[in-house]
Amino acid sequence: MGKKLRDILEEAGLSGGISAGHHADEGTDRELKREPGWRAKKLRDLYYQTLSSADNEFTYWYTRKYFELDGEIPVVRRACALREAFSHLTPVIFPDELIVMNKSAYYRGSFPMPWLSEGFYMAREDEFYQEALKRGSTSVDEHSRFGEGGGNVTKSFGKVVSLAGKFGMRSEEVPALLSMARLWHNRSVDDLGHKYEQMVPEYEIKEKIMRNVICMFDSGYTLPQGREVINYYYPLQYGFQGLIDKAEKRKAEVAGKADGDGLAGTNRLYNYHAVVEVLKGIQQWILNYAKEASRLASAESDPRQKREYEEISAGLEWIASKPPRTFREAVQMCWTIHIAVLNEDAISGLSPGRLGQVLYPFFERDMKRGAITREEALELLECQRVKFTCIDCFASMGVVGGVLSGNTFNNLSLGGLDRDGRPACNELEMLILEAGITCASPQPTLSLLYDEKLPEEFLLKAVDCVKIGTGYPAFMNNRVAMEFVMNHYGPEGMTTQEARSWAVGGCLETSPGAWMPLTLDGKTCWIPGGAGQPTSVGVHFVSLPKILELVLFDGVDRRTGERVFEPHGLSLGSYEELFQAFRDYFSKAVEVLALCNNIQHDVWRKNNMAVFNSLLKPDCLEKGHLINEMGYRYNATYNVETTGTINLVNSLAAMKKLVYQDRTISLDELKEALCANFGFKTAAEVNSYSLDDQEKRDGEEKYDRIHFLCLTAPKYGNGDSFADDILKEWEEWFCPSCHDYESLFAKPMYGCQISVSTHGAMGAVTIATADGRLHGTTFADGSVSAYPGTDRKGPYTLFSSATVWDHSMSQNSQMNMKVHPAAIQGIEGSRKMLELTRAYMRQGGFHIQYNVVDSRTLREAQADPDAHRELMVRVAGFTQYWVEIGKPIQDEVIVRTEYQEV
Amino acid sequence: MAMSHRYCRNYAPVDVAKGICHRSKELISADDDSCGSFEKMHRCMHCRNYRADESKPRLGVCGASPNGFAAYEDMVAVTCQSFESVE
Repeated sequence: MGKKLRDILEEAGLSGGISAGHHADEGTDRELKREPGWRAKKLRDLYYQTLSSADNEFTYWYTRKYFELDGEIPVVRRACALREAFSHLTPVIFPDELIVMNKSAYYRGSFPMPWLSEGFYMAREDEFYQEALKRGSTSVDEHSRFGEGGGNVTKSFGKVVSLAGKFGMRSEEVPALLSMARLWHNRSVDDLGHKYEQMVPEYEIKEKIMRNVICMFDSGYTLPQGREVINYYYPLQYGFQGLIDKAEKRKAEVAGKADGDGLAGTNRLYNYHAVVEVLKGIQQWILNYAKEASRLASAESDPRQKREYEEISAGLEWIASKPPRTFREAVQMCWTIHIAVLNEDAISGLSPGRLGQVLYPFFERDMKRGAITREEALELLECQRVKFTCIDCFASMGVVGGVLSGNTFNNLSLGGLDRDGRPACNELEMLILEAGITCASPQPTLSLLYDEKLPEEFLLKAVDCVKIGTGYPAFMNNRVAMEFVMNHYGPEGMTTQEARSWAVGGCLETSPGAWMPLTLDGKTCWIPGGAGQPTSVGVHFVSLPKILELVLFDGVDRRTGERVFEPHGLSLGSYEELFQAFRDYFSKAVEVLALCNNIQHDVWRKNNMAVFNSLLKPDCLEKGHLINEMGYRYNATYNVETTGTINLVNSLAAMKKLVYQDRTISLDELKEALCANFGFKTAAEVNSYSLDDQEKRDGEEKYDRIHFLCLTAPKYGNGDSFADDILKEWEEWFCPSCHDYESLFAKPMYGCQISVSTHGAMGAVTIATADGRLHGTTFADGSVSAYPGTDRKGPYTLFSSATVWDHSMSQNSQMNMKVHPAAIQGIEGSRKMLELTRAYMRQGGFHIQYNVVDSRTLREAQADPDAHRELMVRVAGFTQYWVEIGKPIQDEVIVRTEYQEV
Repeated sequence: MAMSHRYCRNYAPVDVAKGICHRSKELISADDDSCGSFEKMHRCMHCRNYRADESKPRLGVCGASPNGFAAYEDMVAVTCQSFESVE
């Protein structure tokens, strides 16, 4: 075995370690450990034993109706297919559930949507899969890994077939799935989009970009919606029947009328008709569950369970038509709405938004009239956590594994300001935090919209929640987000008052909202909800270090040898020339990707538009236009996402210093060293994806000096302006440059800077970089987190480096920090953590999240996953069970700088 | 031959391999033989409208669909309005 990098560095007098501050000698466990009540514990324990499972019911009934209605108006055809699918889902209720209804019949179920894409779950030998591989749609699948443990079905067994490396399907159902998938060939968004994107003049570049994993994935046919905030208002206010009545009335009012809009005015009739169809399907779906609860009650001998089934049945019967009468019915209705949207489309990151503020009027009323106790409310919230955790999203391995790490990002926001600018937190949000502590689970993850006005008690409760080690809540800066929302959505009418209703969609996508007037007992309560389209669609994850690699090698991918861009033909004789070449290649990539994505999303909106999600969002019901006709209040939601910012910055800093300023090494020497991986084996050969685990090839010493120089060159995160100024220069160019690209809705795009899990898969395909990182190892996580082990001056210095640029220019920025449990013990530790958070927010940082964990625990969990089924960690914008995360990301989380003092 | 648990009306499928029995409240394997409390869960294979396709294992045609659309024998039919039991 070759010598490991960490040993080489220590021999050279450099700490290869990963911690900062005083070391705790012994492994330290998290301070707080709590358990949920018996019911949620039982349901959560069941989840721990549950496999990710897929079936065909929704798929079958949707497909059957869709093909029956050949020739129908597209929106009506889609709505009828959705109605048919919802109406036929088999209702399954599990013992002891208080909140019922599932995406599919299974506890953790999902289903394929071949109308979006049908190639990725075919056998690898299948022509469809091979076709997808060729065009780049599945290239990233080849470099993505799921965790081998937990509920992932990574291999077939018995009568269960593994699909897309994660989902189990009964072998009895597989022939039907393949048969249906073939029906969608050349009709799916993937296939139709591909047909038309090839008409983009520089399409070949896009294909090469995808095939070489320079960009992670196309959103138009993988996850066309999500990374947005849902709006529960309309059903809560009017009930489903009330909404049907409204739509029927509007049908009569608009039939045959253009009303000044010669292009889309008459479409309103079909849109309202579609709304009615979908709502009737959802009503039937709920009633099927009510009937099933009633059937179970009639056969049940246990009096408590029998009574609960009867209550469930009565509650569902009611909310199938009318607005909820109680807090419990409101919780059930919101859950039903949530999974109805998730069944309508392939979605990750459908955030409940500020659910505690939406539900508060119901909670407050029930508490006042003695209809519910605090303990009963907490039990409901714990059960709600289990239901959200059961959500699965069926998409390709590259997307679900490589990007999402199996997470579904149902992000619940807390705090912020109300419509009048006062603190918006309430007693129910305190209970939501409490449920997050007692019933620790990945979903819904929590985000606290930090504002200086929020009370200390609320913030300290949030810190207590962080200390249990689940990584939530993350802290987002309310003022920075409001500035972004005001700047970007101002042209669509955003006001300061409305900006206060923003929330986090997905992991940390700032999403515009609206205040809606909920009336309860004659009193009007202004509740927040989402009012924008999906806020993270468009150009998904351009790898910045990979673009730099292409610049250095004149447009050629060094891993595959394929030419991606036309040669720039520059000598790269100065840093300025290098940086300009980088910007040129980056711009070319984004330009062609944006055009192709516009086409894919355009195909989606023509045949697969959201009907149910649309009717929930202001102002579709008022306007009569759905998402595809810009019925939403805010439509400028397309973005350009990047990964590997800090590796780019550190690499540029190293080259600026070593090649151009000090001239210690030549560019050719550096390029040769990068190609030779500085004399090390690749990460894949070592089967570890963290830098310090990498092994030297025996006898290979030629590049030691260059590697040493690269590793010791200026690094971001240490308050060193040499590196930090490069970050500032990049951000001040990148953020405004995104506005130059136009979405299919003719709106300017914006920058989005989160890594999710892409820093693993994209690192895997990138050769060594000038910052000393080695071939195949992960990039730094987030967008302003330091590269592991390189931030050596403590968190406050890191904050100074991170805030050299104005974060409100971007939809987000991402700072992940690993803190040793010993550093925040007791109330004193809690206050330190709050002060740390405050310091970052006050400097203008947008987001910070904490992993409170001892790295030794993580190493133990990696060695013995079966003993750590319940262990959760924060990755990058989300919390996930350790055993369900792929090894590259596990390795990366282990080696993150661990702060032992704050 | 006894039918397996997954064909029973009392079986709530937790995942592809196991479920909960509403009678015993126990977690049971989908493919184990059912007990004396077995109640048949209606599937397409139990429906008069289902016509198996001899050339395609597990696949067939739904005679109740307007254009003779494909169907598959294993699909649960408790929500299907056109279901007619063969018994």
